[in-house]
Amino acid sequence: MPLTYPRLITWCIALLLMVPIVVGLISTILPAFHYFPPLNEQQLSFAPWVELFSQGEFYASLKLTLITGIGAPIVSLWLAFSLLAWGYQRPFFRKIEALLSPILAIPHAAIAIGLLFLLSPSGWLIRLFSPWLTGFDRPPNWISVQDPYGLSLLLALTVKEMPYLLFVMLATMKSIKAQESLEVGQALGYSRLTLWRKVLIPQLYPLVRLPIFIVVAFSLTVVDLALVIGPNTPSTLAVTLLRWFNDPDFSMRFMASAGAVFLMLCVLLVIVGWELSHLLTRHLTRSGRSNGKRKGITDNLLRLGAGVGVLTLLSGFVALLLLPIWSLTRRWRFPDSLPSQWTWSNLDRAAPLLLELTTNTLVIALFSTLFACAVSLIMLETKRHSLASRHQTTNNHLFDWLIYVPILLPQVGFLFDLHVLLIYLNLNGDLSAIIALHFMYVLPYVYLTLKSPYLAFNEGYLQQANRLCYRPWRNYLHIKIAMLKPALLTAFAIGFSVSIAQYLPTLIAGEGRYSTLTTEAVAQAASGDRKQVGSMAMLQALFPILVFWFAQFIPSRWTRWRLAIQKWRI
Amino acid sequence: MKRSIKESLVSLSIITTLALTSQFTLADTPTWQDTLNQAKGQTVYFNAWGGADNINDYIQWAADRLEEDYDVTLKHVKLTDASDAVNRVLAEKTAGKNTNGSIDLIWLNGENFRAMKDNALLSGPFSQRLPNYRQYVDENARQSLTQDFGTPVDGMESPWGMAQVIFMHDTQTLPTPPKSIAELLTYAQANPGRITYPEPPQFLGSTFLKQALYELTEDTDLLSQPVDQVNFTTITAPLWEYLDTLHSVAWRNGQTFPSGSEEMIRLLDDQEIDVALSFDVSAASVQIDKGNLADSVRSYVFTQGTIGNTHFLAIPYNSSVKAGAQVVANFMLSPEAQIRKQHPTVWGDLSVLSYNRLSEAEKEQFNDIPRGIATLSIEELGQTLPEPHSSWVSALEKEWRRRYAQ
Repeated sequence: MPLTYPRLITWCIALLLMVPIVVGLISTILPAFHYFPPLNEQQLSFAPWVELFSQGEFYASLKLTLITGIGAPIVSLWLAFSLLAWGYQRPFFRKIEALLSPILAIPHAAIAIGLLFLLSPSGWLIRLFSPWLTGFDRPPNWISVQDPYGLSLLLALTVKEMPYLLFVMLATMKSIKAQESLEVGQALGYSRLTLWRKVLIPQLYPLVRLPIFIVVAFSLTVVDLALVIGPNTPSTLAVTLLRWFNDPDFSMRFMASAGAVFLMLCVLLVIVGWELSHLLTRHLTRSGRSNGKRKGITDNLLRLGAGVGVLTLLSGFVALLLLPIWSLTRRWRFPDSLPSQWTWSNLDRAAPLLLELTTNTLVIALFSTLFACAVSLIMLETKRHSLASRHQTTNNHLFDWLIYVPILLPQVGFLFDLHVLLIYLNLNGDLSAIIALHFMYVLPYVYLTLKSPYLAFNEGYLQQANRLCYRPWRNYLHIKIAMLKPALLTAFAIGFSVSIAQYLPTLIAGEGRYSTLTTEAVAQAASGDRKQVGSMAMLQALFPILVFWFAQFIPSRWTRWRLAIQKWRI
Repeated sequence: MKRSIKESLVSLSIITTLALTSQFTLADTPTWQDTLNQAKGQTVYFNAWGGADNINDYIQWAADRLEEDYDVTLKHVKLTDASDAVNRVLAEKTAGKNTNGSIDLIWLNGENFRAMKDNALLSGPFSQRLPNYRQYVDENARQSLTQDFGTPVDGMESPWGMAQVIFMHDTQTLPTPPKSIAELLTYAQANPGRITYPEPPQFLGSTFLKQALYELTEDTDLLSQPVDQVNFTTITAPLWEYLDTLHSVAWRNGQTFPSGSEEMIRLLDDQEIDVALSFDVSAASVQIDKGNLADSVRSYVFTQGTIGNTHFLAIPYNSSVKAGAQVVANFMLSPEAQIRKQHPTVWGDLSVLSYNRLSEAEKEQFNDIPRGIATLSIEELGQTLPEPHSSWVSALEKEWRRRYAQ
């Protein structure tokens, strides 16, 4: 991109992003120290912290959060690596790749509701085998979901996160020359899985480090998923905080703010700890990796992971397939494995609202994602400039860290304060405010997806084109952007689905005056009515699935179409 | 000439004074007609829980009627919890946005009302000037009309409907349901895993605690006092003892609890549990109609009565369309709106109007409301137990979470 003042542009955009983030951050921290003028509290004190640390529920919630928040990323990462190692470039695995996008696209709450129906004691799995095999005329009194250890929550998180990690890994495979390494390694007699373990995964990990951090932060702070399928006595810390924030007794807010700050610190500490343990593991396995053995026992870990991974994907799919069935159901009781009465009325009832909801949803998603794509391109270009001028390979400017702050902060407190800022600016309740807030949450995902392909682009093509015919903007669009089309479309698809899934930002910035498919679905999920949730979630998933499908479908056919059209014109 | 000037001056001053005073009184207490005129063309953002289709449809019906008759546009902002709206008004106050607030009318009661009232987030008093309130509401008919969970209403919110705790059971699996807190435990002990209640602080869960407390504690009068003026530990000791025993034989061993009435209804239909609770007296009929419950499900109440309360509409202090909001609140109190609301397949929410104040024709219409196969009549609903003082809610919830959620 022929930018004239790359540094200036970087700083302007960074500043623009910094204002809301800093305001949100400061006003999350101040109430944690008992400073909140609207409630006439202006005396700084540690009282909220003392109160927080005296709550038994805080410790119990924290324990649960740490178990699920650290466990889920580890399991997801293990399964994603295993699946990739096992299936990479095998024909059937391509099919699995194509199936990842629906899971990426579907909102968390919907998949949680689907899993809940699949796994609960009155759920579909048990219905399938009852009563003919199990002898159950009525559901058993088991705790297979919402278990106190958070295992079902961990599973739900994994179902949602593992495909994301796999997706990101697949996108970065090109830049580590996996195919070549595999061929060379196999010629040397290494088994496939050992090669992955010793050669490819160590190369891949640094490239997917940031997505992993996002997954870690997400697992530690997730609310909607934990509300549906997580345990509730106690709940995870994020849910407990949400309850405190929403308590009609406003004085609970101070303790909740302290909790939010604590959760934020937790996220940081866990990420630091994660990185340290990665260094440690790398150090410990160094000799093992270069010992020349062509096979190893730890290969089985990957083999096992691939099996578990397929099972996890499968359960995600079945959960997804059950939702559309519910939307056509009138009666479906235990132990029937299919509905006994069908109806269109669930969809009929949803129909009148659809036009408005769909328009709002699409407008918000489209604009926020387009902005995010544009800003990401500009920022990456300035980054490329500074990398090229300093001949450094890793150079993260402020921006690289700043954009992750919104996803690292617990949404509850942060968004309340952003709302206050929006009111100050008189932007509250406006469509542009929703788009701006969505943009903040979409940007990190888009930027991240685009980063490695963009920086890995061989600038030679562009330089050559400019030498032949100096039209920098045209060449940028027609050569660089055109060649980066798959990455751009993928980034767009991810951003799009992230925007569609946003609940709290839409509600808070739009003050409930703009409903989207998601706000409607979550409002109805409050009632736990699977039929309504089924119909809404289906629609909610429809658009992201379409966009993902286009993202995969278009790039490979684009040139053919373009040439065909050109020929037809001539 | 001179005289006439003087005379005219006097008369002028009289006229001016009159005009001034009348303007003064106008500004002070505008007539209802003024409010109606002012409300014309206003858009009222009504923040109300949006989790139930039938209630949403009812609000949409009211919106259509208001548009027709009063030229007021009612927009339903669907919430998952009334506290979302309370938070938003607080955020606006934080930002100093004291006019043009985003919320014009809010559906609430109990703790949320107290929080808003105590923090001066409400506009009013207004309810006593609504024509339909004056004509049809008898404040002495029920304590909950003037005391919202023990917090004096003081005209800061206008009643909308009445709710009472009911229980639901499937006559196919449970022909004779347990009709008291004690019987409920006996039943749970005989049938482990089939009894549960919503998780406090969900309001129905807290209400279950209050219901149990009413039946278990010795002196129920103490419950109407603020909790810090009585001995909480002694009064609630039998409750915790009871819950300890119940949880050991409860659904999923008392390790998880349903999130609310809707989940309980789902669990009842899935046959995971045998008794479900609701604050909506016609819940069973409505859900049977929607295919969410078997038609063998019936409602019942405890022999000693169950907890009941009133839910209200309030206007935030920074609404810019207070006239429009009052017109909506007034319309919601009209016999037309209240009769439709009590229709079991529409909503089934109990009317707040005093039956004796209705005209013969309106009485007739109330009498003609079909009840739905699983809805109890007013007589069958029996005695309503009053809500304890609102300070009990938070105390009970805190103690419950301390004991069972760690």
